[in-house]
Amino acid sequence: MAEAVGGVAEITFDTVKIKVPAERWVEIHRQARDDLGLVFFSWLSAVDWTVDVAVGDPPSGEVVDHFEMLTTVADLTEGKRVTFTADLSKDDPVIASLVEVYAGANWHEREAAEMFGIRFEGHPDLTHLYLVDSFIGNPLRKSYPLLSREVKPWPGTVDVEGMPGSAADPTEPSEENPEA
Amino acid sequence: MIADQDLVRHLSETSVSVSLETPDMTLNIGPQHPSTHGVLRLVARVDGERAYDVHPVIGYMHRGYEKLSEVRTYPQITTLVNRIDWVSGYANEVPFIVAAEKLMQLEVPERAQYIRLILTEMARISSHLVFMASYPLELGAATPLFFALRERERVLDLLESVTGGRFHPNFNRIGGVKPAYGSGSQTRKVVQDLPAGFFSETRDAVGHVLGVADEIESLVAGNEIILARTKGIGILPVEVAASYGVSGPNLRASGVAFDLRKVESYLPYDRFDFEIPVGENGDSWDRWWVRLAEIRQSVRIIQQAIDGIPSGPLQAKVPKVIKVPKGETYVRAENPKGEMGYYLVSDGGQGPYRLKIRSASFSNLSILPWILEGVLVPDIIAIMGSLDFVLGDVDR
Amino acid sequence: MTSFLTDLFSNFFVSLAGKLLLVALMIPLIGMAIGFAEIKLSAKMQARIGPYFAGGRWGWAQLIADGVKFFQKEDLIPEAADRPVFKIAPVIVLVGTVSLFVVVPFGPGLIFRDLSVGIFFALAVSSLTTIGILMAGWSSANKYSLMGGIRAAGQLIAYELPLILAVVGSVILAGTMSMEGIVRAQIEAGYPFVILQFVGFVIFMIAALAELSRIPFDMPIAESELVMGYLTEYSGFRFLFFFLAEFASMFTLSAIAVTLFLGGYWLPGIPESVLEFAGPVILMAKVFLLVFTMIWFRWTFPRFREDQLQSLAWKWLIPLALLNIAITAVFKVFL
Repeated sequence: MAEAVGGVAEITFDTVKIKVPAERWVEIHRQARDDLGLVFFSWLSAVDWTVDVAVGDPPSGEVVDHFEMLTTVADLTEGKRVTFTADLSKDDPVIASLVEVYAGANWHEREAAEMFGIRFEGHPDLTHLYLVDSFIGNPLRKSYPLLSREVKPWPGTVDVEGMPGSAADPTEPSEENPEA
Repeated sequence: MIADQDLVRHLSETSVSVSLETPDMTLNIGPQHPSTHGVLRLVARVDGERAYDVHPVIGYMHRGYEKLSEVRTYPQITTLVNRIDWVSGYANEVPFIVAAEKLMQLEVPERAQYIRLILTEMARISSHLVFMASYPLELGAATPLFFALRERERVLDLLESVTGGRFHPNFNRIGGVKPAYGSGSQTRKVVQDLPAGFFSETRDAVGHVLGVADEIESLVAGNEIILARTKGIGILPVEVAASYGVSGPNLRASGVAFDLRKVESYLPYDRFDFEIPVGENGDSWDRWWVRLAEIRQSVRIIQQAIDGIPSGPLQAKVPKVIKVPKGETYVRAENPKGEMGYYLVSDGGQGPYRLKIRSASFSNLSILPWILEGVLVPDIIAIMGSLDFVLGDVDR
Repeated sequence: MTSFLTDLFSNFFVSLAGKLLLVALMIPLIGMAIGFAEIKLSAKMQARIGPYFAGGRWGWAQLIADGVKFFQKEDLIPEAADRPVFKIAPVIVLVGTVSLFVVVPFGPGLIFRDLSVGIFFALAVSSLTTIGILMAGWSSANKYSLMGGIRAAGQLIAYELPLILAVVGSVILAGTMSMEGIVRAQIEAGYPFVILQFVGFVIFMIAALAELSRIPFDMPIAESELVMGYLTEYSGFRFLFFFLAEFASMFTLSAIAVTLFLGGYWLPGIPESVLEFAGPVILMAKVFLLVFTMIWFRWTFPRFREDQLQSLAWKWLIPLALLNIAITAVFKVFL
């Protein structure tokens, strides 16, 4: 299968992952849909590989900063599924949109666009899906901080609001809300 | 959220309205809904009776799970992940835990797998009973709600007796299910198994569930008005469904006999004998009917599982501090709402490097602009209800 | 003493005052009784108990408590609303309902006013409610209320026709439009008209449900699911008027159905003298049966879509009713 699409396959932990060049993104998916029978569009997203991590742990090992686009498509008869992946540069993450091949990519791409800042060429309506329109920033990038962590280190103190008039100050809502 | 000025003219009016003669009126089915779905907003252009150009506006419940899971350890994420599809709480945890166990190459004991399977099927019954309750209510019939929820209470009580939680069980642990009672200094060293009488009570409860499934079928399925409101409404062809990623009962109602339980091996479903209910036309009626049939099949599976459950340990040996080795995997499961999957990118730490949650209702909902094109306004409610989505699942 | 009372009540104005007082007492009492039946019956059908705390363990005081609650609420009128129309709308709806009490025969001679055009009067006056609802929708200064009101008006007008046409069959059989006369005709015939006029009866009951805007015909109220259609802006005692009007008209429409089709206050085999006392009881029992059916339908069926509702009225009920009239007339002439 990998040879058919001209990519590099890797099978780990029951997952077939085929690496393809970003230029042939749409073409390969079209091939997968038409020739390989993978008509079911499961999801599309990205992984931000970088060492500049604002929250959580940085990746172990050497990592070149890039985005890794991922899609999973499957068939509806035997349960075959394939994960395609392509690398995008961080400075100008642009990739062609899959909307013409799989209609469901519409929302997934909108989410990836707002979360990572990836531009999808050919997408009909790349507006924010989850986030408020006025939101600035791309939350799922590793460089994007969790604001409440900035305010209060983790694990934080117990959230107890003092009695009125006492010295204990009311803490901010500790609900992790990157949009706060 | 949408900032399309052409459509969203009446932002302050957050209620349903219907236009009769006014051409090109904006219909805003506001974020507050009287149904169990959650905070969904639909902005549509209504011309006479028909709605065109429907834009769902989601994100009201976005809790940032994927970002959060980058700063949590695996047991902590189990707590988070329950709350994605809160109607079927237990079923959300299983694929995530299985993904982590896959990367650790752990062998989960049989008994734990069977218990997971039984609880997952109970979660499925619970979720489908909520659908049975709320869908006729949206159409106007108030009574099936009480029948369905009454039986659901039995299932929830059983879930609570085992896991301690009705909606958010948090019962899975890496390597199995939660073995001991208490925590910290209260932890008993003795391994606690399922509560006494669990199996007999479960048999009893699922017997009642079968009874209420028959009751609901006679109450709802023979009712001409419900048939008139749902037959032929919201037909979803298979190609469109597959292209959008619609899964679960919605896909099976369109005629595809595809069930991840038969295909994937995240739980030992291959040892049990059950059918996959398939619809014919892909209209709202079929989606209702498929879920009713699935309740019956779930009962069958539970009965077989209880009959065949092996004894043994409840959790594999895992170190105290769990670090999942480097690797990537995608595990998908047949959630009551559809296909739920977790793409786990692990870097060898205590938490994932990236966790992509593929939630069923997100893809199911993305079909709304297509399926609601040119549909009568009352049918919008009928179709949306039949897709059975939960906003927690959509927004994560 | 008795002669004093008879003389007193032979005075037109005193008896008028007495009748008005009686109606004024009956309306809330009947409204509450039917409301109580609704909440308890619906609870029974849904495996619940229903109101439990108000009034011992039966909850009979629930509606009284609700009434008091509504009365003491703040009287809110939207700023942009048309004040006179807004205030009068619930009154008109209630008038349309209460006026029907005038022609319901509770027993032989026990009728507030035996008009020779009794049924005609009843149907004409019940159309007032449509106007009241339109006024409510229009004067609320709320786009959604207006739409709900217009939809309600469309539905009510559509179902007026089957209501009226269904009645005609019974009138033909009785030969008179006076309500008392119709009951007499059934007594003389020896059987209630429903036996011959079963189709008319069914059409009347369906149309009555639509006139009441009850499920399965409650699109005007329920489709604007959050707001209550034309009832949105009404709160406090104005809402109570609408609420009361619904239950009272459940009673009156059922009473008319009982009079026209089920024999009114008469049961076969009961002599006239007993009917003077037992008449109201028998009538209430029959009305309760019909009200029970209405409540039963409300909690069993979902609601019709607007266009299905309209096509039911225009394509099915009206032709059937016309056919019914034609056949009845033919039979009356030739038999």
